[in-house]
Amino acid sequence: MENRIEQKMQALTERGEKAFITYMTAGLPDMEGCKALVKAQENAGIDVLELGIPFSDPVADGPIIQNASYKAIQLGVNLEKVFALMKEIRAEGVEMPIIFMMYYNTALHMGLDKFVEECIGSGVDGLIIPDLPLEEQDDLKEALAREGAPVLIQLVSPVSAGRIPQILEGARGFAYCVSGMGVTGRSGSFHREILRYLTEVKKVSKIPVMMGFGIEQAKDVAPMKEVIDGAIVGSYFIRLLEANGYKAQAAQEYCRTFKKELNGLK
Amino acid sequence: MKASEKYFGEFGGQFVSESLMNALGELDRAYEEAIHDEAFLREKDYYMKQYVGRETPLYFAENLSREYGTKIYLKREDLNHTGAHKINNVIGQILLAKRMGKKKVIAETGAGQHGVATATGAALFDMECTVYMGEEDMRRQELNVFRMEMLGAKVECVKSGSRTLKDATNEAIRTWSQTVEDTFYVIGSVVGPFPYPKMVKEFQSVISRESKKQILDAEGRLPDVVMACVGGGSNSIGMFADFLDDLSVKLIGVEAAGLGIETGKHASAMALGKPGTLHGMRSYLLQDGDGNIQIAHSISAGLDYPGVGPEHAYLRDSGRAEYVSITDTEAMEALQELCRLEGIIPAIESAHAVAYAKKQAKKMKENEIMVICLSGRGDKDVHTVIEYQKQQRR
Repeated sequence: MENRIEQKMQALTERGEKAFITYMTAGLPDMEGCKALVKAQENAGIDVLELGIPFSDPVADGPIIQNASYKAIQLGVNLEKVFALMKEIRAEGVEMPIIFMMYYNTALHMGLDKFVEECIGSGVDGLIIPDLPLEEQDDLKEALAREGAPVLIQLVSPVSAGRIPQILEGARGFAYCVSGMGVTGRSGSFHREILRYLTEVKKVSKIPVMMGFGIEQAKDVAPMKEVIDGAIVGSYFIRLLEANGYKAQAAQEYCRTFKKELNGLK
Repeated sequence: MKASEKYFGEFGGQFVSESLMNALGELDRAYEEAIHDEAFLREKDYYMKQYVGRETPLYFAENLSREYGTKIYLKREDLNHTGAHKINNVIGQILLAKRMGKKKVIAETGAGQHGVATATGAALFDMECTVYMGEEDMRRQELNVFRMEMLGAKVECVKSGSRTLKDATNEAIRTWSQTVEDTFYVIGSVVGPFPYPKMVKEFQSVISRESKKQILDAEGRLPDVVMACVGGGSNSIGMFADFLDDLSVKLIGVEAAGLGIETGKHASAMALGKPGTLHGMRSYLLQDGDGNIQIAHSISAGLDYPGVGPEHAYLRDSGRAEYVSITDTEAMEALQELCRLEGIIPAIESAHAVAYAKKQAKKMKENEIMVICLSGRGDKDVHTVIEYQKQQRR
């Protein structure tokens, strides 16, 4: 199995370690700055990076990522430029798994076959598409049925209930469990039945289970530490980057601390 | 459920977050049950008659017919309670919400007509109502903002993106995905994820059911042309529905050309649009070179939407309906013409259909028949008309 996400997940499982995944909007503060941030995070030991592809109508995102997305569009960031950035990142030796978090129309507009080819050519390992539920994935899965293509990460929600086994059947990489209802970046609003729901997913899942949405510090996931295999931080990380002028050092410190605390949770 | 049921040809579907999938399934089941339940239909018909004021007249516009040179009938949806066709759909959806035990409703609105209709229905059935409206539209349609507030609804000002209907819809979808466990989302047009396009069509198809019967009574035959304006496309789908199988009836949808298609400042998703996904559906959309959704432009807030309902996309591609467009200027001229000739002040949205009627009539004979859906009245637009006239004088 060649996929970087799957290799990483296997290595973490063998070491009994939890994964730490961050999200950042591609192209912020600019292309060079973004590259520096990617490298800083790899050095700090994050396990997987999600790169957000800006879109005009990000309905799964709260205000923080909406604004970041808007800013990136104003700077001229688009899918083509992010593919170019990816090629540079890989050429400069970044080896960690990278996932595109994007809306379906962006890929559709490029044409699915061309999109997948670009993913393969630039070293994209996974896709998270929040407006593409299981029932609408056939076209994309067909385009992804190629050697070296990224894996499509499946999202699970607290109200997925009976859909969970279906969603996870054949799922690859990891299961992305959304912590609450609605959009990204709502801190302290995990679903009231979060633990029961995560346990349900864990029972069915053959792949690691990650939790995302609304997480700020490692201690936020302490109550779920027995169930989840890792945590994803997006909006809070972007807020932190903005507060620190997108300095690589601030990103590095935060990631190092989170990763350490996540694996030392009592 | 087979995927094909959720599609009109290649258009439609359910491009929403996982958290809404069970809710959409539940909504579809509840809807199918309701429309096959005599008691539900009786209750709906009761409110349609006694509260909304249906049926609405199919008025033979004698002066307009003489002026344009063909027989023109106006389906008077402007005479409905709250002033437009929007209430037909709202009563249906709110009764469904009530049946599903929901106490809270949310809605998006552009011109404010759907917002007012939803606020009205919520007041009638004692539900908590929040309406999402773009900041730009709140300015253009201030009167409707006051009306919603008088009716007890909370109007949430949406300041993201273009600050119009597109962004109000984004915000309503975001809110719904957070509150789906106890809230019903009343979508105002034949857009959004399945089953909304199907459901809204059914609730609006009363327009063509009545029209067909009325025209047969008046003329003893089917019309040659049936026409309506298209934003998201709810009054037009309602106007087309019962004529879809009557292939002798030409169906024409009129989109907003804004300042002109060639200027790029327009709202004609089907003139130059490319299929894509937005607001839970695959349909024709105005997009830029990166697949970002473009800002639509129309003097009429109700047509100011960069997409179109999936069934319209299908009717266009299959050739069953024809879609054309009318500029701001043409619509405003038609609005004034209808005021003077017939004593009817139409909504600017509906004036787009009247404007195209003038062009279409030139291709028709004197004894041929055209039915136009006059989807709403123009009271809400008086402010826009005054501004427009001031600009013309400069």
